[in-house]
Amino acid sequence: MKYLKYIFRNALRNKLRSILTIFSIGSSLMLTTLLYGFMDSQDEVREKIRQYDRIVVLSQQGFMQPLPLAHVDDVRSINGVLAAVPFQWYGGLYEDERVPFAQFGSDAEYYFDVWSELQIEPDRLEAWKNDITGCVVGDTLAKERGWQVGDKIRLKGTIYRFDLDLTLQGIYQETENPGPLVFHLKYLDEGLRQMGDRMSGNAGIVYVKAESSDVIPTLTERIDANFENSTKPTRTESEDAFVQIFMDMIGNVQGYIQNISLAVIFSLVLVAANAMAMSVRERTSEVATLKAIGFTRNGILTLILTESVFISVLGGIFGVLAGVGVWWAGGVAFPGQWPNADIPPQTLSVGIALSAAIGLFAGIIPSWRAAHFSVIDGLRRVV
Amino acid sequence: MGQSVVSVMGVFKEFYRGDIHIPVLQGIDLEVLQGDYYALMGPSGSGKTTLLNLIAGLDTVTEGSIQVAEEEITDKSEDELARWRSENIGFIFQLYNLIPVLTAFENVELPLFLRNLGKRDRAERVTTALEIVGLGDRMDHFPRQLSGGQEQRVSIARALVSDPTLLVADEPTGDLDRKSGIEILDLIQKLNEDFKKTVIMVTHDPQAAERAGHQVFLEEGKLVSSLTEI
Repeated sequence: MKYLKYIFRNALRNKLRSILTIFSIGSSLMLTTLLYGFMDSQDEVREKIRQYDRIVVLSQQGFMQPLPLAHVDDVRSINGVLAAVPFQWYGGLYEDERVPFAQFGSDAEYYFDVWSELQIEPDRLEAWKNDITGCVVGDTLAKERGWQVGDKIRLKGTIYRFDLDLTLQGIYQETENPGPLVFHLKYLDEGLRQMGDRMSGNAGIVYVKAESSDVIPTLTERIDANFENSTKPTRTESEDAFVQIFMDMIGNVQGYIQNISLAVIFSLVLVAANAMAMSVRERTSEVATLKAIGFTRNGILTLILTESVFISVLGGIFGVLAGVGVWWAGGVAFPGQWPNADIPPQTLSVGIALSAAIGLFAGIIPSWRAAHFSVIDGLRRVV
Repeated sequence: MGQSVVSVMGVFKEFYRGDIHIPVLQGIDLEVLQGDYYALMGPSGSGKTTLLNLIAGLDTVTEGSIQVAEEEITDKSEDELARWRSENIGFIFQLYNLIPVLTAFENVELPLFLRNLGKRDRAERVTTALEIVGLGDRMDHFPRQLSGGQEQRVSIARALVSDPTLLVADEPTGDLDRKSGIEILDLIQKLNEDFKKTVIMVTHDPQAAERAGHQVFLEEGKLVSSLTEI
């Protein structure tokens, strides 16, 4: 403790260099915080999803191959299934938007049984059920586009030849992630059938609400066994495993992030080590003086290592706080597209611990050299 | 006759620069008693600073023995020497060697960090040391806010604060104007006479050397005379 003042003043004696070092460590750790925050938030989302006891039935060939609508009723009849709905991606363009937002065809009768955590006014749900062209949206999507109940929403098909003329019948309250626009799959299917389109009769995938988490392992096996000999065999996954499939499609994100982070950390160690080496070299005579008046090699080593760790941790705190700030700002600026989870506290702690480790490694060589150079040579620099 | 504080016996010191052998000290014998004030003089390269460094435990002998306060220091490791210096030696450097980011008070306090002293004890000692050197009113000043003479006074207070066995001064007035130099020499003399501090000072300045009770001349690594003992 008694050395803290000395360490603190030394750390800030060349303010420009210290600030630049702190900024370089901080900005890199901000990036690392964001990357790990994204990764950890996905883990958190998957962790939360588990509590809803949902499973997803896909075609054995993957989710790009739609299941027949008839499978939905078959699934509903299987023991352990509380509710099941088709879930078909539409991918239509709204007004002059170039990228489709989340929009799915499903079954109004059971949709809120499967997503039981979502809240909707009973009269709005009834209105949706009774209107084949009706749809519901999550409150984020509604707020983002300024939609209100009764608004007409026209979606131009990009996958399907049939465009949707929808009426917004309800806005549901989301829990974690922004929810999609959901319409009657029947409306799309009927339209396609009337056009003689071969894409009619498909359910996409089937979302299932299981009776409890205990039944999920056996239920997934029972569902797949049920369709084993059909023309469209299935592959049933828990919802969190299904989310992971999308993550895996991007590639080994975790691996990329870890490799990028390692490269960043290695560069930071070099940057910080260079700054510390310069700082110690400028203070050769001072270090020699400390040794002359009785500081041991370990004492010198500890002083300089602590200084290095101190500067680095300042950078770490700055980086982590900046990372949290950017994460928050991203959530405000891109409410539908930004991960709807906070950066877990352990990610922030890891960021600061990482900065301490960077400071420690960066300080090893300069402090070892300072501790071991000859006092006489050090004093000769000025005497 | 006083108690022996420094006993240098048959000391040789050699350096090697690549293959070149440089004999710096060649068989030095010197006895310094408690309360003595020695001036080491000689031309540049004669080995006076090297001898001072050896006595202060900053360097090790090639051959011979040095005892300070009856303790052999030539067989100590670097860390043992560091600890020993913190208890026995007070350094006064030509360029003061103060830590620029610390105030006068904090600079003087530094050697006490190596002792087991509480904050209050440290503060008392530092205040006393700074008052002895006449800087009781400059405790919170940083070195850049002090004149050269005042900086050297802080350096003397730092050397004094841990009440060492021996004060060593290497050209303590070498970087000062005449007036400040005289003040510093007065102060060192006061420490020797009033506080009975044993002092060994390296100097080029004959007038500075006159302040010491003993003048020792080195030439080409050998002690050539000791004026007061002839």
